[in-house]
Amino acid sequence: MIRYLLKRLFWMVPLLIGISLISFFIMHLAPGDITTTEAGFNPKASEESRQKLRELYNLDKPLIVQYGLWLKRMGTLDFGTSFASHQRPVFWEKKDDQGNVNPGMIQEALPVTLLINVLSLLLIVVIALPLGVISAVHQNRPPDRAITVFVFVGFAVPGFWLALILMYWLGVVNPWLPISGLHGLGHENMGVLGRLWDLGKHLAIPVFISALSGLAGISLFVRNGMLDVLHQDYITTARAKGLPENTVIYRHALRNALLPLITLLGLSIPGLIGGSVIAESLFAIPGMGKLFYDAVLMRDFPVIMGILTIGAALTLLGNLLADLAYAWADPRVRRGVVQ
Amino acid sequence: MSFPFRTSGLLCAVLLLMLSACGPSQQPENHSPDWDHPYPPESGGTLIDAMTGEPSGLIPMIAGESAASAVASNIFNTLLKYDKNLELEGELAQSWQVSPDQKTITFTLKPDMKWADGAPLTSADVLFTWKLVTDDNTRTPYGADYKLVIKAEAPDPLTFRVTYEQPYAPALDSWAGLQVLPEHILKGQDINTTSFARKPVGSHYYQLGEWKNGERIALVRNPNATQGQARIDRLVSRFIPDPASQFLELMADNIDTMSLSPIQYARIFPAREELNRKIALYKELGNAYTYLGFNLKHKPFDDKRVRQAINYAIDKQELIDGVLLGLGEPVASPYKPGTRWTNPDLRPYSYDPEKAKALLREAGFADHDGDGILDRDGKPLAFEILTNQNKQREMSAVLIQRRLKEIGISVNIRVLEWASFIGRFIKTGEFDAVVLGWSLSLDPDQYGIWHSSQQAPGQFNFIGYNNPRVDRLLEQGRLELDPDKRMKIYHEFAATLLEDSPIVYLFAGYGLPAIHKRVKGIDNPAPPAGIGHNSYEWYIPAPLRRNEISAQ
Repeated sequence: MIRYLLKRLFWMVPLLIGISLISFFIMHLAPGDITTTEAGFNPKASEESRQKLRELYNLDKPLIVQYGLWLKRMGTLDFGTSFASHQRPVFWEKKDDQGNVNPGMIQEALPVTLLINVLSLLLIVVIALPLGVISAVHQNRPPDRAITVFVFVGFAVPGFWLALILMYWLGVVNPWLPISGLHGLGHENMGVLGRLWDLGKHLAIPVFISALSGLAGISLFVRNGMLDVLHQDYITTARAKGLPENTVIYRHALRNALLPLITLLGLSIPGLIGGSVIAESLFAIPGMGKLFYDAVLMRDFPVIMGILTIGAALTLLGNLLADLAYAWADPRVRRGVVQ
Repeated sequence: MSFPFRTSGLLCAVLLLMLSACGPSQQPENHSPDWDHPYPPESGGTLIDAMTGEPSGLIPMIAGESAASAVASNIFNTLLKYDKNLELEGELAQSWQVSPDQKTITFTLKPDMKWADGAPLTSADVLFTWKLVTDDNTRTPYGADYKLVIKAEAPDPLTFRVTYEQPYAPALDSWAGLQVLPEHILKGQDINTTSFARKPVGSHYYQLGEWKNGERIALVRNPNATQGQARIDRLVSRFIPDPASQFLELMADNIDTMSLSPIQYARIFPAREELNRKIALYKELGNAYTYLGFNLKHKPFDDKRVRQAINYAIDKQELIDGVLLGLGEPVASPYKPGTRWTNPDLRPYSYDPEKAKALLREAGFADHDGDGILDRDGKPLAFEILTNQNKQREMSAVLIQRRLKEIGISVNIRVLEWASFIGRFIKTGEFDAVVLGWSLSLDPDQYGIWHSSQQAPGQFNFIGYNNPRVDRLLEQGRLELDPDKRMKIYHEFAATLLEDSPIVYLFAGYGLPAIHKRVKGIDNPAPPAGIGHNSYEWYIPAPLRRNEISAQ
């Protein structure tokens, strides 16, 4: 088991290098660099100063040299600093000589995105599980049909549109919830409960919107898993020996039907750090999606590479975790892994 | 059929229950104050506005983007500033003298000025700032103007003197653009990386109160302000990237001001009585114009008749009505309409397709093969208009495409992401025509855009304009500091440019700020400088202030 784990971890290194190489070159294929921003298109800004900047960031060197420099820094887990004029560290905070802490860009954006995505994933699972079970139990009858229609409507509704409608309805017409942002104006002066309440109110619509589109996938997955299991012999046996229907469904059937869900959740781990640009712009939430999008538009290569590398590492780790969890949950798989 | 809806209703209810398990819900305000009631000026209150972008730092010479200068202009002073009619007047400087040979400018500072931390503000700070902006290690794109100074000195605390090798007329404008930084704090620090960019100490009406990354910046009144006290206590700028969300926040009374799009201004507001009751709309001169620019090195744009024909074939009023819903005006020179630099005798090319066709015929174009497209020497008159992802520019390009088709010119439109557009096409000169914008500069000098020497990749005369007469006028204009003589030079420059038609001026859109009526003291109609010129005199009467319950 340990050997298997080590082997998997070892193979992640060349994979990561390959992924970073490809992303690095694709990113640099796009024309323009940090000096071609819209703000830089100003007759008062001279070309010499832009050239100076290019040299400073080694953008005048051949691509392969730039990649080598980047890889060398990554070797010491140094994600570098942003090309933007604030030059903030890409990943984690740094202290300067006077003890001023300069927070990292990913360090600030990641918790926000994680919080929203974890909450919405929880919400999805909490809602999709019973929906899937109900659908399977009442297969092809009105409750099943209704649930299917509902989850597909949720899947198909354009998120930004529904978001605007909810913002208007719950924020303007009935001012119950804040429209955008993460914290209210007096956030600093609130108690712990007050802050949580404030944050919860700000997150309500974004989390709901992001959960709604995910319901369809998981609930149908659970439904199909359940249907497979319900047609198996041991369920018939369980029913035949007179167990109550609830016990049959929730103790015997559901547990086995949940197995494929582990893979699905493992695969969604890397998705947890990716934010939606549209939702984050709409709700004015400073998360990963907006960070990445702005970095691409600005050609802020250290930030782009930082996010891609972390994303790639998490994807590989997520796959590994899913495999391990599967092995833990299913003895048949476990035997295969150990051998 | 009602089932899914009941389910979704249930879901909503569950969600709301989860979120409202504890805590009081906010009381909706039922009593609506009379927003139009006049109140005497008083100080206090908070003004909340919305910005689409976040500043990267608050040292404008380093940060460079508009969000940074918008916030920093409330924190730092400049030597000179533009008054409400866009004429220069002193800010830190009480007065300034230009020497008879026009090469030396002497600024006399106002006495007894202080930084927000109480330290004295003197000419040494100005000198320090000049050294910073001209230092080769400073990563600023804006050093060029200041590097022309061959000698800068501060002989006494109230005098700052700069000497140029030869007279440089845009100098005064450049001193209205350089925000003075404190020497006593920044001395010995690396300006590129200093933490000062995130906790600045300035001398203007406000100082930084709080900066929450990605969310907002709050400014509080600076008790040591050099220009007197502003009336509003706190300015909060929230970063809301999406204009639709900004508008919802404005409707819900969570922000006091935003700039509207023409649709919001001309369609949504007139249709909603309740918005007009509490929000006032303003209209000010725009800061930029949109143009159709030709690559003058490509045929057939090297032919003036072709350029003029296209200018005649485009209906500018149609563009203004269609793209801006009427909220803009045509321009005939690259200066703000109504200011002294605008030549009042110039008129935009009228919409005259017949004249356009005649000019093209004169240039040798005719439809020889009968396909509806004019041609000359077997080559059809067809070109591609490039523009970046900007709705107004895209719509303009479409309207131009249609008008040009009517006179037999075939146009393709290609919309590109900004960095690709500049890197791939503008810098390499591989384009036929572009729809872009230039700012309507306050100083008339436009050497960088029109002088024939400014055509290298990365420079701004990328259309390749080369006219000896314009070159001479631009050079003269830079040497002449007398405003009246200068005005004549630039009037002639604008007239030559219009006649030569290297670009087609399309329109200059209005700035459309909407401000909640609780904010009083705003000039309406807006003077040429816009409504913001006296924002320190704006006030929010106590009875109209937002209920700041959360800030106990």
